[in-house]
Amino acid sequence: MTYTSTVRNLCLSLLLVGAGLTGCKENTISEGVLPYFEPATIDPDGGTWRTVLLSSASAISVPAPTAITSDAYQTELTSVKNGILTSTPDQNTAVNYWGQGGVVRWNQIARQLVAKYNTAPVYNDATGQYLTVDPSAPVASLPFATRLYALLSAAQYDALVVAWRAKYQYNRPSLNRQNIVTRLPVADVPSYPSEGAAIAEASAQILTYFFPNEATYIKAKATEHKQSQLWAGINVASDVKAGETLAAAVAAVALNRARTDRFTTSTDSWATMKAKAPYDVTWQSLEIPSRLPVVPLAGRVKTWFDSTTVAQLSPAAPPLTNTTAFQTALAEVRATADSRTRDQWATADYWNDGLATYTVAGHWNLIAEQLIQEDRQNELRSARTYALLNRALHDVTTTGWQAKYTYFVPRPAQLDAKIKTSVLMPNTPAYVSDHAATSAAANTILTYLFPAETTWLKKQSDDAIIATLYAGTQYRFSIDAGVQLGTGVGTLATNWGKADGAK
Amino acid sequence: MQQFIRLSLILVCLSLPRFASAQGLMDGFMKGDRKASLAVTYSQETFDTYYRGTTPFRDPNLGTVTTQALNLYGVYGLGYDLDLIVTAPYIRTEASAGYQPKQEGFQDVTAALRWEAFDYKLGKARLSWLFALGYTMPIQNYVNDNMLALGQGSKNIDGRTMLHFKSGSFFLTGQFGYIRRGPVTLDRIVNVYDPSQVNPNSGMKVNVPDVTEAIIRTGFATKRVYIDVWGQQQTPYAVGTDIGPGIPFPTNAIGFQRVGGTLFLRLVGRLGLNFGYSTTLDGQNIGKSTRLSGGIIIGN
Repeated sequence: MTYTSTVRNLCLSLLLVGAGLTGCKENTISEGVLPYFEPATIDPDGGTWRTVLLSSASAISVPAPTAITSDAYQTELTSVKNGILTSTPDQNTAVNYWGQGGVVRWNQIARQLVAKYNTAPVYNDATGQYLTVDPSAPVASLPFATRLYALLSAAQYDALVVAWRAKYQYNRPSLNRQNIVTRLPVADVPSYPSEGAAIAEASAQILTYFFPNEATYIKAKATEHKQSQLWAGINVASDVKAGETLAAAVAAVALNRARTDRFTTSTDSWATMKAKAPYDVTWQSLEIPSRLPVVPLAGRVKTWFDSTTVAQLSPAAPPLTNTTAFQTALAEVRATADSRTRDQWATADYWNDGLATYTVAGHWNLIAEQLIQEDRQNELRSARTYALLNRALHDVTTTGWQAKYTYFVPRPAQLDAKIKTSVLMPNTPAYVSDHAATSAAANTILTYLFPAETTWLKKQSDDAIIATLYAGTQYRFSIDAGVQLGTGVGTLATNWGKADGAK
Repeated sequence: MQQFIRLSLILVCLSLPRFASAQGLMDGFMKGDRKASLAVTYSQETFDTYYRGTTPFRDPNLGTVTTQALNLYGVYGLGYDLDLIVTAPYIRTEASAGYQPKQEGFQDVTAALRWEAFDYKLGKARLSWLFALGYTMPIQNYVNDNMLALGQGSKNIDGRTMLHFKSGSFFLTGQFGYIRRGPVTLDRIVNVYDPSQVNPNSGMKVNVPDVTEAIIRTGFATKRVYIDVWGQQQTPYAVGTDIGPGIPFPTNAIGFQRVGGTLFLRLVGRLGLNFGYSTTLDGQNIGKSTRLSGGIIIGN
């Protein structure tokens, strides 16, 4: 080897070694970036909108604020002005985070916590034991999740209606109108009481009720949210205080409902229920070792919309397993599973929403979040969107659960073990499809709220509805019954929305 | 004959199923100018225990996982000091229990250049210093977020360096490599709880952790017979996740410690047979697998 080539090779070698050893720090998940926006409307009549938990917004009175000419107010205002001038990086991060919208952020937090607690016992055959689980931790199953989303959204919505009523009753001018430049675009609404503080307080109380183990984390989030309203120049301290107080009153009503809505995690009577099932072959857990069904009594939970009307939407009895209708449906599942395409797999996976996720209801909350952002909805309208959507999703889930634990229809693979599923087998009876029911309901209500997205929503909903057949976990008759149920409850929610005073 | 030996070192190559593992990108024997070989290898790998994180775990709903692979491997000497290596495996993987469907199809194609940068004579012995650079990409859009996935679905760059010592029929090769794995897009939105996410539930694109790899291989190579033993340590470099409900499989931090051996026998002319065995001593988010393989090598 010549001297030149040795030098050349040495240089190249060093280059290669250098390239090989240069690893980078990488994020595990690439996140989207949310846009900031000034809400499209201010809805001055928001205080007259029909409330969900309260008889009306006037059920909670908000005391009159001090005049803006008072010394007390001017002191608060100066404090906010000085705060903006001396803000810290941490405060700016908090302002940016909550600037995306309090309703949206708390919905995200709720979904994250549902994903965290949506667990099942994991059995290790190597040790003959289950991986350690915290017995005090709740299990965020689909009924648990829809109940949480509905209660959270309803409490946020009612708190905001009360806040809006007081805003336009007292008309304390926004800080933007008092020569303060807020750090982010905000709705030009009267500043008293603070809508951010109202959302924070209501959300924190509801979430803490569902996840007592997360109390510290939730409280820290709520405190930061309230403080961020001052740091961003949106509110003064007395605005925040009033928002917090009114929301605590709304949360008390919401929690009272939660304590008496008949939700229970008990599994005591499920074997008796199964013995009484009017069906020829009944469901059994396909897991090894077999596992108890989660919240089999969730079909008895109090509904948000008129219980009699909702009950009338209950699905009819499914075909017995020895009928031609059933056998045809079973054969279709088998044929679909045997010839599953890559695209079908992808659709099934996209809509799997199984363990450790925010559930299929959470998936529709994410879709609603995108629409809320596109439509630039203010806090009140965002809360209304979620309250309509999540009450409907709760009621379809409740009615669907009732059918699941009335008929105990087995999953397809129980009757034909050669059916392979592209997702993990859900540990619940098949009939009716909760994916189909949830998605049909969500499509109905979201299409009403966001008519411009009708085509896109239908595509989403169609995919979600058929996804379980692609996955090999559902029959077509179960999906069809789910769609019928979901559309019915979705229409109830739409009718409520048409008459609630919001235009 | 050397050419047979060179190829016999490589049983199954760069890219393998999630729970399979490469025995290293390549060996230290150069091909030679304008010489080529082709190997067809079949391997079968099984495990009933896998590591969740580093905890051994047996899932009764999975049973025993068996992975069969048919691997095509070609090498061509572009020059006396530069080889081109191409490989593409066809894989089938299935579980004995539960309801998960088997996965089958072409996995990743890899092309690599191996360059002998330095070559020293030490008496009768020779010491060479080599570098290799490889690129891997999936042949098709296979399912990547699954226990039985064919692979991780990422596009990778593999850079490594080797020291190869040979004295008579004895040889010793040490190599170190860094595999840079590109991000992959899942079929689903990741919404597993991760407190560090500012905008949760928004991404379908996830990072596949990079890994480093160290391999030591030693044995004897004669005209008719080649035999070696080797040890391989793969270590996740970037921060990754552990196998768990809702966790995307491609983001798992995969590491392992394996040992194995290879036997090559020359039959007639340009035809040879090889056999391989390997087993996993320890691992992280990977199957505790044992592999047997056999193949035919044709070349000049």
